[in-house]
Amino acid sequence: MKQTVTSRVSLIYTLSVRNLWRQRRRNTILLVSVISAITGVVVLNSLVRGMQLQMVDQVVYNLNGHITLHAPDYRSDPAITRGFLEDSDEFAHKLESVNLAGWATRIKVPAVVMSERETRGVQIIGIDPSQEHISIVSDLRIEGSFLTDSTDNRIVLGRALLTQLRTKIGHRIVVVMQDSNNKSIEVGFQIAGVYDSNSEGMEKHVIFAGKHALQQFLKSESITELSLRFNTRLIPPGILESISQSFPNLEAVDWKNIDPILAFMYESVNAMVYVWLAIVFTALVFGLMNTFITAVLERTHEIGLCKSMGMKSSLVLYQVTTESLIIMFLGLIGGLLLSWGVLQLIGDGIDLSAFAAGVEMLNLAPKIRPAVVWQDVSIVVIATIFLALTASLYPAIRAVRLDPLVALRD
Amino acid sequence: MISRVSTLFAFGLLLMIIDIAQADEATLTAEELVGKVLDQTRGLTSYSELTMTVKRPEWTRKSSFTVWTRGREDALIRFTAPPRDVGNATLKKGDQMWTFSPKIKRTVRLPKSMMSQGWAGSDFSYNDLARSDSLLQHYELAIVLEQNEDNHTVYTIEAIPKENAPVVWGKEVLKVRDDYVLLEHAFYDQDLELVKWIETQDIATFDGRPIPKTLRMKNTDDEEKWTEIEHTHVEFDVELDDNKFTLFSLRGSD
Repeated sequence: MKQTVTSRVSLIYTLSVRNLWRQRRRNTILLVSVISAITGVVVLNSLVRGMQLQMVDQVVYNLNGHITLHAPDYRSDPAITRGFLEDSDEFAHKLESVNLAGWATRIKVPAVVMSERETRGVQIIGIDPSQEHISIVSDLRIEGSFLTDSTDNRIVLGRALLTQLRTKIGHRIVVVMQDSNNKSIEVGFQIAGVYDSNSEGMEKHVIFAGKHALQQFLKSESITELSLRFNTRLIPPGILESISQSFPNLEAVDWKNIDPILAFMYESVNAMVYVWLAIVFTALVFGLMNTFITAVLERTHEIGLCKSMGMKSSLVLYQVTTESLIIMFLGLIGGLLLSWGVLQLIGDGIDLSAFAAGVEMLNLAPKIRPAVVWQDVSIVVIATIFLALTASLYPAIRAVRLDPLVALRD
Repeated sequence: MISRVSTLFAFGLLLMIIDIAQADEATLTAEELVGKVLDQTRGLTSYSELTMTVKRPEWTRKSSFTVWTRGREDALIRFTAPPRDVGNATLKKGDQMWTFSPKIKRTVRLPKSMMSQGWAGSDFSYNDLARSDSLLQHYELAIVLEQNEDNHTVYTIEAIPKENAPVVWGKEVLKVRDDYVLLEHAFYDQDLELVKWIETQDIATFDGRPIPKTLRMKNTDDEEKWTEIEHTHVEFDVELDDNKFTLFSLRGSD
């Protein structure tokens, strides 16, 4: 009798399902463990990825941009003397073909601020408020008023610094900087407003002035950086090189170079994600294998019987493998559905503000918003199917190797 | 740190108080009065010996140093006590400053940011004292009161910073005697609350000129803390080597 492929498949399928059904309780437990493993992996992975991307967002958003262009020697000595001239038309022309959310030109120089009672070292950032929709500036909570435009000769500082300086909105502070002749200058600024941000470090160390007003005080027409932000969360591949080429006189630095510690954390999270996947799936594979070995041992008699009645070895092998595949497939679907549900639930983010200090130290946002990375999900899917095969292989081979005579005798 | 800081302090005090000449009896405007107090030192040289006491609730520290000045731009300070600080020196030329410590045999140029800092444990800053010409440059001055005390006229001068002046104070109030001895210099914040003040404790005549012999700096935050400078010896119009105010001289032990 020549069996068709279809009938063979349906036979294997029927046998597998019945075998699974015979041990309902055990297989349900197995299914549940597969579902929870997959849900755990996917949900936690999304959280970790979310955190990782938020770290990048934070750096990019924190007045750095994805890519920052400086004069080549600026980073070793950030001073206005190491600036470059702003040519908006040229910049616009060169950046035309790049998919940018926007760009901003700024002056960033170190400064010392003095009030009646205190003196603090800070970074003064000269900005054009109309360009800053790409940075944290547009989201800062302001008390008082923010700079109206780039010629505004007032100053905005962080809440923490205001407290340290023991001064008030509307009062005057003195800022000491180095001008373009390398001479120290002292400038009196009226405090226009105060900002609150999630980072106390920023509040203490970053003060904002109008870009053109600052240029006047510094007796310079230069800016010290051109900052670019893309429409994507990460830098599109190859863009850094092409931007370097279009600005041959400037040094193009990506966020990884601006914040090497964070870049290191970012890379280690990448490694961590895969190590973690490997650990979970290894545990899962042994659980599966164990169950199927038990299943095969239980069925020694009937497998022996089937074989002695002429069932082909391959059919026995397929049968066990199919059982494993069915469990894993159901587990995968269940796990992904459950993950989807959980992610819907926590999609708004997990609030970590109770651990604000630690969160800030890690440069995280106070809310973790999960991010599903499809590459990781596809790795989970492929790994699950691959595991279903590997885990069932050993029990299946044992079943195949069973000598029908021995099996029936015991 | 302390000695560097106290050096700054000494500089400032010196530049402000040394060498105050006799008054013309004509009526003066506030600007002229402050100008006389501040500008009399221009073009002159001086040599003085001082002791300084820094008082804190927990401890008191005394030190001594010698100061040479030329005009209002140049000054050299060298510590003579306590033994730990002997030889530490500071040179001011124009608006630049260097320090030298014999222990490390290094000359260090002080960054502007440090010069503008309040010094350790106190709210005295270099700016308060050494840059006193800012009173003429950045403030509107007015004589608000004239009183007679011990056969002298004492003028009370109020200094209000001009709009956007590089000045943190809300106002400064000076009490000046008609022989240009500064009796008191008070600093008010921008809510016009008193923050700190320098008061002359003792006036003495050195080399024919009346000067504030002992000055004490106090602040309203903590009345237990003060710093006092006392002149033990002052000479005016002394002969000084041209190379007195050089980095070479800063390192030397003359």
